[in-house]
Amino acid sequence: MLVWSLTGRIGAWSLLALVFGLIYVLPLAVIALASFAGQWNSMLPSQLTLDNYASVIAGESGEQLRVSLITAALASTIALLSGTWAAIALRTVAPAPRRLLDLLFFIPSAVPSVSVGLGLLVAFSQKPVLLNGTTAIVIIAHLVLISAFTYGNVAAGLSRLPPEFEQVAESLGARPFYRLLHVTLPLVTPYLIAALSLSFAMSMGELGATAMVYPPGWVTMPVGIFALTDRGEVFQGAALTMLLAVSTLAVLVGLSLVPAKAAAR
Amino acid sequence: MDASGIGFTGVTVAYKGAVALDNLDLDVAPGEIMAIIGPSGCGKTTALRAVAGFVQPTRGRIRIGATDVTDLPPYARDIGMVVQNYALFPHMRVAENVAFGLRARRAPDSLVAERVRDCLVMVGMEAYADRYPRQLSGGQQQRVAIARALAIRPRVLLLDEPLSALDAQIRRNMLGELARLHRDLPHLTVLYVTHDQTEALTLADRIAIMRGGRLIANGTSQMLYRAPPNRFAAEFLGRANLLAVRHEQTDGRFARVRLGDTVLTAMAPFSELAGEVLLCLRPHDIFLAPVSVQPANTLHATVTDVQWLGDQHSVALELAGQVLRLVSTPLRDPPPPGAVVAVHFAAEDASIIPEGTG
Amino acid sequence: MASDGVAVLPAARLRLNGAWVVPPLGILAALFFYPLALIIQQSVTTAGGLPDFGSYARVLAGPLFANALLHTLEIALLATTGCLALGFTMALVLTFVPFPGARALSRLIDTFIALPTFLIALALTFIYGSAGIANMSIMQLTGAEEPPIDFLYTVAGVVLAEVTVYTPFVMRPLLAAFSLIETAQIEVASSLGAGAWRIIRRVILPAALPALLAGGSLCLLLTVNEFGIVFFIGAKGVITLPLLVYGKAIQEDDYTAACVIAVVNIALSLSLFLLYRVMVARVDQGQRGA
Repeated sequence: MLVWSLTGRIGAWSLLALVFGLIYVLPLAVIALASFAGQWNSMLPSQLTLDNYASVIAGESGEQLRVSLITAALASTIALLSGTWAAIALRTVAPAPRRLLDLLFFIPSAVPSVSVGLGLLVAFSQKPVLLNGTTAIVIIAHLVLISAFTYGNVAAGLSRLPPEFEQVAESLGARPFYRLLHVTLPLVTPYLIAALSLSFAMSMGELGATAMVYPPGWVTMPVGIFALTDRGEVFQGAALTMLLAVSTLAVLVGLSLVPAKAAAR
Repeated sequence: MDASGIGFTGVTVAYKGAVALDNLDLDVAPGEIMAIIGPSGCGKTTALRAVAGFVQPTRGRIRIGATDVTDLPPYARDIGMVVQNYALFPHMRVAENVAFGLRARRAPDSLVAERVRDCLVMVGMEAYADRYPRQLSGGQQQRVAIARALAIRPRVLLLDEPLSALDAQIRRNMLGELARLHRDLPHLTVLYVTHDQTEALTLADRIAIMRGGRLIANGTSQMLYRAPPNRFAAEFLGRANLLAVRHEQTDGRFARVRLGDTVLTAMAPFSELAGEVLLCLRPHDIFLAPVSVQPANTLHATVTDVQWLGDQHSVALELAGQVLRLVSTPLRDPPPPGAVVAVHFAAEDASIIPEGTG
Repeated sequence: MASDGVAVLPAARLRLNGAWVVPPLGILAALFFYPLALIIQQSVTTAGGLPDFGSYARVLAGPLFANALLHTLEIALLATTGCLALGFTMALVLTFVPFPGARALSRLIDTFIALPTFLIALALTFIYGSAGIANMSIMQLTGAEEPPIDFLYTVAGVVLAEVTVYTPFVMRPLLAAFSLIETAQIEVASSLGAGAWRIIRRVILPAALPALLAGGSLCLLLTVNEFGIVFFIGAKGVITLPLLVYGKAIQEDDYTAACVIAVVNIALSLSLFLLYRVMVARVDQGQRGA
């Protein structure tokens, strides 16, 4: 307890409530309210309606929800596989090259998303591989952007794993791949799920690289939201934003319910 | 039945220049329980991990049975291992934990089921087969860890401080359990690493004492306790009074030594005694004698402190600048501090240590 | 004993070793480092394919680039300062003036990391935009003709949105660092008569300094790279480096200029990333030493 007087504590709490309310609750509430607004010319919307949701779901935005979900699912799954693979393989590398390789796997998280998109555009609009204008280039962009976070999460999980588990398994006759499959991976499952959740959420909200590379036939929700607000359809934009936030959080909650026996230790 | 002992030949382990194990030569006979004891950092755990294959010797060879295992990976060494915190796999039930080694070897299901049952019965955990490790107490986890190590019928069992995470009462029970287990499996060779001398004395046939990566002493528990080869061994294994005395003459198994004006007789287990040596006297081998009776090996000393510990008295004495401590059954009339008393000991209960060896 | 043991399987044919790092490294090389190399190559090549370093001079000397670089740095520094101040204050109250639900609240703030960054930008336009609630309300009350609040379309608006979005990234390491400070330490200090400010200055701030530096350098990196917020607020005068890259490539189709700016942007980001890694290493070291 840092503040002993009741007035002091109430003061601290009021400050927290004010800040939290003003910068976190208010914006979310306003977006939520706007998504139901028919007209909004004064303090509060003059009428509430579900029309915004109806029109975004019926219109092209329903397709955008599907595109975003597929993109995020594919990109985060591939990122999980490659990140887990990299983190496991790196454990067998000597310390000095390992530090360098570790740095390499983290670098994509440091490069601005727009530049990642630009690089893909430049690289895959020319031979030997032409991907410009395809769905694949969007998924690749997302994969590159989230790969560092999946790798980082899995690597952190592996480094926190007490070595005894794997050593005992090995002493009992488990060879490397058997041990990996039956001991190491089950024990880091909570980290794998965290990695998947984080990268899925990042992919759902990705805008910079997508804006650079998306073809007309593969429009993700963030791009769709921008297009709506840019045309002045702000309430529909708000409705689509709500859909994006709710579907992201729904997947995260779903993933957090995956039973992880190892976590309950 | 092939011989399943363990052999270290000139094993040296160095990490980044620091020597953790220095030229260790040690043989564990088949069916024997060998305890390696020593203070932390003495190299005992490194020795065990070298047998398991988790550290690679920089020099020397390690043998299990007739097989040189120095270059084999841990999974090919055919060992059972129990570590300090048991490391039961938290995502597997007790039965799955015990079955792990057999499954890893692709043993047929019928054999797995039978072995798992036998091993759980052996450690008294058959009723817990479907529990998860987190649902077990420390002592129960310990039993499962032992069952898991034994299920593969290993050639050697490696125990790394297996009791240190348990509280005193359970630790005593488990010591009894381990002794019983070894009576049931008389051919199992056990390497037991501990910092606790009581565990070693209770359980081990032979004890190796290490310090600073080196083997300091090695012998049967009885022999090491009764006739320690050096100061460190005497002080690490049980409590010891070490009196500086002068060697006069060795006569067969006994030697005569001089402490001031008094000539004493003690066992002389080591040859080549000369000059300044140490007389090792265990506190419980020294007796207060009535001043009227003066048997051989009697010393006169001044009482400096008397402590009553319930089931025994501990008396601190001072003679010619050296400290002597004795313990006895509770005394009806403990001597007051400052009193001069006579104490005596049997020559068979005292032994001479060559000075300057530890 | 071994006679009735179950035989160990023959030695593994597949070995788990460093070579296994090649496939994921290959993916990273093909999809990230190869494109990165081509950005650099394109930045020094003319449309005709000839080597040309003149594009750097042309692009970097222009007022557009200088303006964008200045705005990027200005926004990043201001937003990071804001995140540090806000994150420190909130983490301080959450940890040391606890109340029921404090943990739930900090977890709630943490979930903001999962939401898209432009969500806040969009929300701010609803609140402070020229047709937003605040302006509408004030105009109705006062009868003013012009919207009185117009900070949203300046650097201040972008900074406000970025502070909101990136404060959770500062709070994470701070809450972890605060949880390591023993409450007894604070209680002893206050029993010795130290006031709250003194305790913050003498006990809490030094303990939290590594976490503040780590969180702050991460914030710098993320705000330099931020695209969605600036894009959504769409202020004419507030162009940052990522936005300029987008504009040159997509709107003006000038890939060489886009690549030149991207190279500068990436170089800036990578140096901030290295700064961040150094700071994190210091946090780890401090915790291991504790």
